[in-house]
Amino acid sequence: MTVFVYQLRLAFKSLRRNPVLSALMVVAIGLGIAVSTASVTIYYIYSGNPIPQKSDVLFHVELDNWHPDKPFDSDHPERAPFQLSYRDATAIMQSDVPTYQTAAFRGEFIVFPDDDQQRPFREHIRMCFSDFFLMFEVPFQYGNGWDEAADQTPESVIVIDSEMNQKLFGGINSVGRSLKIQDRYFTIIGVLAPWRPTPKYYDPTGDPFGKPEGIFMPFNFTPVLEVYSSGSTWGWTPDSITNHEGYMQSEMLWIQMWVQLDSATQKQAYQDYLDAYVIEQKKLGRFARPLNNRLLNVMTMLEEQEVVPDSTRSQLVVSLLFLVVCAINLIGILLGKFLSRAPEIGVRRALGASRSSVFIQHVLECEVIGVLGGGLGLAISVLVLNLINRMLSTGEHLHLDLTMVGAGLLLSLVAGLIAGVYPSWRICHVAPAVHLKMQ
Amino acid sequence: MEFGPIFRALLNNRTRFWLILVEVALTLAIVVNCTSIFLEKRQSFLAPTGMDTDNILAITTEPFGENFADEEFVESVGEADLRQLRSHPSIINATPIHFFPLSGSGSSIGRKAAGSEIDSVGVGYFMVDEHGIDTLGTNLIEGRNFNSSDIELSSDDDAPQNIIITKAFADRVFPDGNVIGSRLSNRDNEITETIIGVVDSMSNSWPRSGFGGQTMLLPGKPRDNREMNYLVRAEPGTIDSLYTELDELLVSLENDRIVTVRTLSEIKLRYFRRTLMAMKIWAAVVVLMIIVTSLGIVGLTSFSVSQRIREIGTRRALGATRAAILRYFLLENWLITTAGLIIGTILTILLNYALAQYAEAPKIDWILMAGGATVLWAAGLLAALIPALRATTVAPETATRTV
Repeated sequence: MTVFVYQLRLAFKSLRRNPVLSALMVVAIGLGIAVSTASVTIYYIYSGNPIPQKSDVLFHVELDNWHPDKPFDSDHPERAPFQLSYRDATAIMQSDVPTYQTAAFRGEFIVFPDDDQQRPFREHIRMCFSDFFLMFEVPFQYGNGWDEAADQTPESVIVIDSEMNQKLFGGINSVGRSLKIQDRYFTIIGVLAPWRPTPKYYDPTGDPFGKPEGIFMPFNFTPVLEVYSSGSTWGWTPDSITNHEGYMQSEMLWIQMWVQLDSATQKQAYQDYLDAYVIEQKKLGRFARPLNNRLLNVMTMLEEQEVVPDSTRSQLVVSLLFLVVCAINLIGILLGKFLSRAPEIGVRRALGASRSSVFIQHVLECEVIGVLGGGLGLAISVLVLNLINRMLSTGEHLHLDLTMVGAGLLLSLVAGLIAGVYPSWRICHVAPAVHLKMQ
Repeated sequence: MEFGPIFRALLNNRTRFWLILVEVALTLAIVVNCTSIFLEKRQSFLAPTGMDTDNILAITTEPFGENFADEEFVESVGEADLRQLRSHPSIINATPIHFFPLSGSGSSIGRKAAGSEIDSVGVGYFMVDEHGIDTLGTNLIEGRNFNSSDIELSSDDDAPQNIIITKAFADRVFPDGNVIGSRLSNRDNEITETIIGVVDSMSNSWPRSGFGGQTMLLPGKPRDNREMNYLVRAEPGTIDSLYTELDELLVSLENDRIVTVRTLSEIKLRYFRRTLMAMKIWAAVVVLMIIVTSLGIVGLTSFSVSQRIREIGTRRALGATRAAILRYFLLENWLITTAGLIIGTILTILLNYALAQYAEAPKIDWILMAGGATVLWAAGLLAALIPALRATTVAPETATRTV
């Protein structure tokens, strides 16, 4: 241990001897670390699991009622459309198999703040069932979600997110306050704590990195308030929709359906339930395509949706290559620095320093440079990520977490090692005699 | 020339040779691939929209007053809005519309030539009135514009509508020409529209997509009690003042609604925000890469110069001119860089292939490759120039002094 401390001291001493060169080396490796940590982080966040503790038991429900002659996705004919019609979604909501289940979609409403200073504004609202908050483990700051009774009636209650609470009520506990939406008053029953699942997995049709909606309303207000989807509506039938009743009864697809199935038997039971439902519907002349009811867990669904942008992946590869070039640069500088010290090392070797201790001392020096560069790089990458967040202006949420800080430091250690091994090996093989003669 | 000695010197100092070579090769591969991705994105952003994008304002009005439950009231407000907008001195023309072009949200549908066996293709559509083409600033190249009877007809659901399509869509569906008067049908072969006009080009709501130029205009005045939206084309230079004025103008006509005014350029920037972001990242990587590599060459060449101080002194003592020393180092460096660029060309193609396997990667253009090589040649020479100039200042006596 004391030897290690001694070696470390030597390393720092050597770095101080030529501060400009040392700073240059730290900056060189720091740039590489900054670029690669930033892109590793972006990749890690974009391809991450938004709900790791439950992603295996949450299933996205897909039924294939697309055009009889043509698959929904002609590149992947085995897939089904990833939304349901209103009539199918409400029908399978009657199942008692899943632990939790919710049909959901995004609507748009005009909200009238109580405060006379604010003009009415339009807001995205998620229409969903009470299970939504439980199955997706949505965190509450005040109050909580509504109950099943409120689903059925439906009761005029809503949940708002923390941003909306800030905007409307200045961030106080607003549970029990009322809010006018469209033509009626709703009572606020819960206020969310800040919640930003990334990707926004519960809605595969929208921007996968967008914000959750600001207001959540019982799904059964859909017919009452004649809510249309403000997300995607897909259809293949030629009939045109003239009113909301027609929209609800049509084969148009605009509802997302999620269930929680905790065991394989439960999953099988639900699959059987879906199959039975569709076979029943086939007798009514619907579902002309072959039976294809799919239950996709969170990560499978995200993979099928290809939420990770292509450019994120190329950036990852390129930034790691960039780090390699930075490391090669460091090799060059280190070689120059170490070999110019050859006479001194010759003396140390002649006085009995072993090859391995000379080697270790130099590798350690490189690692010190690596870690300093890593620290600098991490600081720069935080700046870069914040800059990206600001430029995208959609409230993007890129940040370094502990894992990524660890990854950045690990990268810098590896880069220091790669850069340091060869120059250190060269210097520890200096023949003492040659340099002694020259003194 | 000095090729012989240079080669022998390189063989004696293989490390430096390989380091610079690998560095230059990797840099070329990265720079060319990144630039190629950057250019592709830039092209998709700069591609003409076919509209007078810079002078168009997009207005959303969302009624909330109870009066709007009455259809006639909605009609009268809509007509009053349009009259007011069109009579404004800085406004060239205005049209009702539902979704906005270039916005990423809109409507699309599958259409094919009536009676054709070929499967239908996707086309984005907008409903506008007879002022639509003039407001958008797109040019009618064949046929005629909508007239008021086309607009009237639109409310009758059964008859096929008269529509105007873009040339890009016409070329897709009617490759043999003869577009005007031809009919479109849906996938189930039901006649849906008759084409009365063709415009040269106009982006739909998804300019980045594969069918971004396939657009059709349907006649009508889309308005209901939830939304009444307009596009307005301003006289050049007046868009900034209109931007602030129109909100108040429309609210003063009818107060019980939310009015949002945006420029079409703003909408386009928002749609392309990730593309623009990615462009900035790629550009930054290219610039950083060239800087880092140049610094690396400076460092490695400096080291090589300082190692050969005595050798240089000896050559100077034996009569070599300063120019000869400079030439020697530059030539040496040029040789290494060139070798690096040759390996780099192969690496570039390999990297391009690797990226294309699981991410986006446009094919490498040879002009781009040549450009990248030239830039790196220049950067390599400039980088070597600094230490090489230092080498020329070595005094001949150095040779004798240190031996």
